[in-house]
Amino acid sequence: MTFHRIELANGLTVIGEPNPAARSMAAGYFVRTGARDETPEINGVSHFLEHMMFKGTARRSADDINREFDEIGANYNAFTSEENTVYFGAVLPEYQWRVIDLLTDMMQPALRLEDFDMEKHVILEEIAMYEDRPQFWVSDLARSAFYEGHPLGYPVLGTTESIRRLTREQMYEYWRRRYASNNLFLALTGNYDWESAVRQVTELTATWRRADAPRDVAAPPGRKVARAVPRPNLQQEHLCFVFPGISAQNDAMFAAEVLAVAIGAPVGSRLYWRLIEPGLATTAQMSHSEEDGTGQFYVYVACPPERTATIVAIVREVLAEATAQGLPPDEIERAKRKVASELVLQGETPFGRLLHVGFDWQYRRQLRPLSEVVDRFLAVTPEEVAAVLARRPFETETLVALGPAERIE
Amino acid sequence: MATSEYYTRVLPNGLLLVAEHLHGVRSAAFQILVPAGAITDPDGREGACSVLEGMLYRGAGTRDARALSAALDELGIQRGGGAELEHLTLSGALLADDLPRALDLYGDIVRRPHLAAEQFPPERDLALLRLQRLRDNPQERLFVELRRAFFAGPFGRSAYGTEEGLRALTAEEVRADHARRFRPGGTILAVAGAFRWDELSDTVDRIFGDWKGSAPPPPAPVGGEQPRYLHVPVESAQEHIGLAYRAVPLGHPDYYVARLAIEVLSGGMSARLFTEVREKRGLCYAVRALYQTVKGSGYVMAYAGTTPERCDETLRVLVGEIRRLAEGISEEELERARTGLLSALILQSEATRPRALFDARDAYLLGRVRTIEEIRTQVKEVTRERLLDYLRRHPPRDLTIVTLGPRELEVV
Repeated sequence: MTFHRIELANGLTVIGEPNPAARSMAAGYFVRTGARDETPEINGVSHFLEHMMFKGTARRSADDINREFDEIGANYNAFTSEENTVYFGAVLPEYQWRVIDLLTDMMQPALRLEDFDMEKHVILEEIAMYEDRPQFWVSDLARSAFYEGHPLGYPVLGTTESIRRLTREQMYEYWRRRYASNNLFLALTGNYDWESAVRQVTELTATWRRADAPRDVAAPPGRKVARAVPRPNLQQEHLCFVFPGISAQNDAMFAAEVLAVAIGAPVGSRLYWRLIEPGLATTAQMSHSEEDGTGQFYVYVACPPERTATIVAIVREVLAEATAQGLPPDEIERAKRKVASELVLQGETPFGRLLHVGFDWQYRRQLRPLSEVVDRFLAVTPEEVAAVLARRPFETETLVALGPAERIE
Repeated sequence: MATSEYYTRVLPNGLLLVAEHLHGVRSAAFQILVPAGAITDPDGREGACSVLEGMLYRGAGTRDARALSAALDELGIQRGGGAELEHLTLSGALLADDLPRALDLYGDIVRRPHLAAEQFPPERDLALLRLQRLRDNPQERLFVELRRAFFAGPFGRSAYGTEEGLRALTAEEVRADHARRFRPGGTILAVAGAFRWDELSDTVDRIFGDWKGSAPPPPAPVGGEQPRYLHVPVESAQEHIGLAYRAVPLGHPDYYVARLAIEVLSGGMSARLFTEVREKRGLCYAVRALYQTVKGSGYVMAYAGTTPERCDETLRVLVGEIRRLAEGISEEELERARTGLLSALILQSEATRPRALFDARDAYLLGRVRTIEEIRTQVKEVTRERLLDYLRRHPPRDLTIVTLGPRELEVV
């Protein structure tokens, strides 16, 4: 597999993983910016800006953007996380030129004031919507507690107050700093024409400028916090644990992912056998999030409020047992297969490959074919998993309980 | 660009096997639809399908629960499925080479589950807890309440069941229920991905060939014949608004006309609902309309979530846009709707999981799988005149409206 890669004179990088046999192609702009690059005054601006990028440019109105994406039948969207903002679309190969034209043009938004004021309502509705989804809300609360006061803990959506306060000028200033040609890149996957894409992007981005877009990658150690956020209207207690994990630049992240699957996959994991199978809780899952210079393990459990103390004790016991005794090779083997098969399934479409290719470049400046990533997971050894456990991640625990409980131990 | 090859076979015992061979993939995905969904739960035992579904995985054939789980994980099977309205679905996806071994395991799960009495209490507890959890998810609950309000009878149920139904259920009843509903007659197996048809056909014969009997036929859907408003008071941050009305089912001569109308309404970000409710008025983050089909009936469901003080306006705009469709649709709008529908199909045709799901659903509703070419031809044949004529002859009426949240609506 030969990858494509070029850095244009303006500092913009374009990368590509071609697959001439595919029936579609996907394109995405990956911007190295998110909630961790904000200040408290502008918390939520990255995500709000992501919405505003669909609201028009010098040569397109918001209606134009929506209409053109639909005219080419694109499967398109965007998302913002703590440290990434990504805009992407998958189309039939004949629409390559149009989807790249649209996405590239969108990176230079008009940020019209009337659109800004209108979209503010939508953002406030989105915040209200998440309040009605305790599973997601509790993980935000837990992350904030774990990184208390540090930008790594800022909520991606911001708060009702920070969004109400935010001005169009603050957003423009943020965009100017963060959407510099050297702080984002374009990734292509599937059945695309590289020469044509490079010519087109070179022309479209001729006026793009570099800028100093620093990020503080030094991550604070996580905190040990136990906190109840009482919500008497909820039926169940929603528990989220956070522990320090492995960064996206550290090769140990492969073992960390395998460990998280072995302990907390939705079915067949240690948490499943201890909590779900006996009928104690409806959901019990562990995940690992590898990030820029940092990472976290998360455990989420939903359970009847009266069982909270029992469940918390069991989760701690499962983690302490894994830390003390390690994981047997057959369990690690099964977890590796689960990870590998999911990767292969996702990787079968250009759309499914795009985020993997993009993040490999974002975090590691690597272009690796799917087979190499799958092989790396399959090569994870029990010693590597033991090395992750030897860092004693589960001894630094933050726990937030969202539900009827008034307090938590 | 290679297209798929389709295969269909009805086994002598009635099991319907449909398979789609996809080029350029290494995986295979399968869907087993057993006619044991909520609509055929025994009366007074609503939720039986949900308990039965969980019990299936608690030991089958020669394996106990742990050994079964380990065997599935050793093959790297991505497990899916669950108890649903019309079926109890078992699904999985994995590397294609291991497909026969996976089907062997699912043969045990479907035909030889232990359904041991001691496994019943924890599974019933889980079903009760899922019902409790549903109350913490107002958006999902809205759809459950909306269907209950729209359909009279079994189609108004949800696979979650009811607390009374779950509490009345016994382990013996679950075993009897399995014997009654888990039968090849009425069961569908759909496979999509990389396989050799003759091998797959032989494997399915070997695993399911000597299975016998037929499940009881599903009831006919009834509902949506009178306008209705229902409010469910809940202390939530948003007011969750749902509405439903009748539409033609898949297989009806007007199906693609009606389907494209909903695409104009809610297909992409340039569609009517997104433009009018979100872009122009900022009333919602989430707003959409979905075309649903059950066997024998179609219906449209629309959803919007908004803060309580803006719910009257949101509902007014939502209903207004649905009614306004019949007043006119531009050629460009129709063309975007056609493109959106077809493009989504082609884009998903590269992945095995969505294809298996699509094929299984078609097999159930039509008894065969539509090819992309067939759909393309049908979609192209829908003209603006036909679309408007249809909308004028069948204006959305007898709306069922449900609100779930802090505020009951005054109007409606």
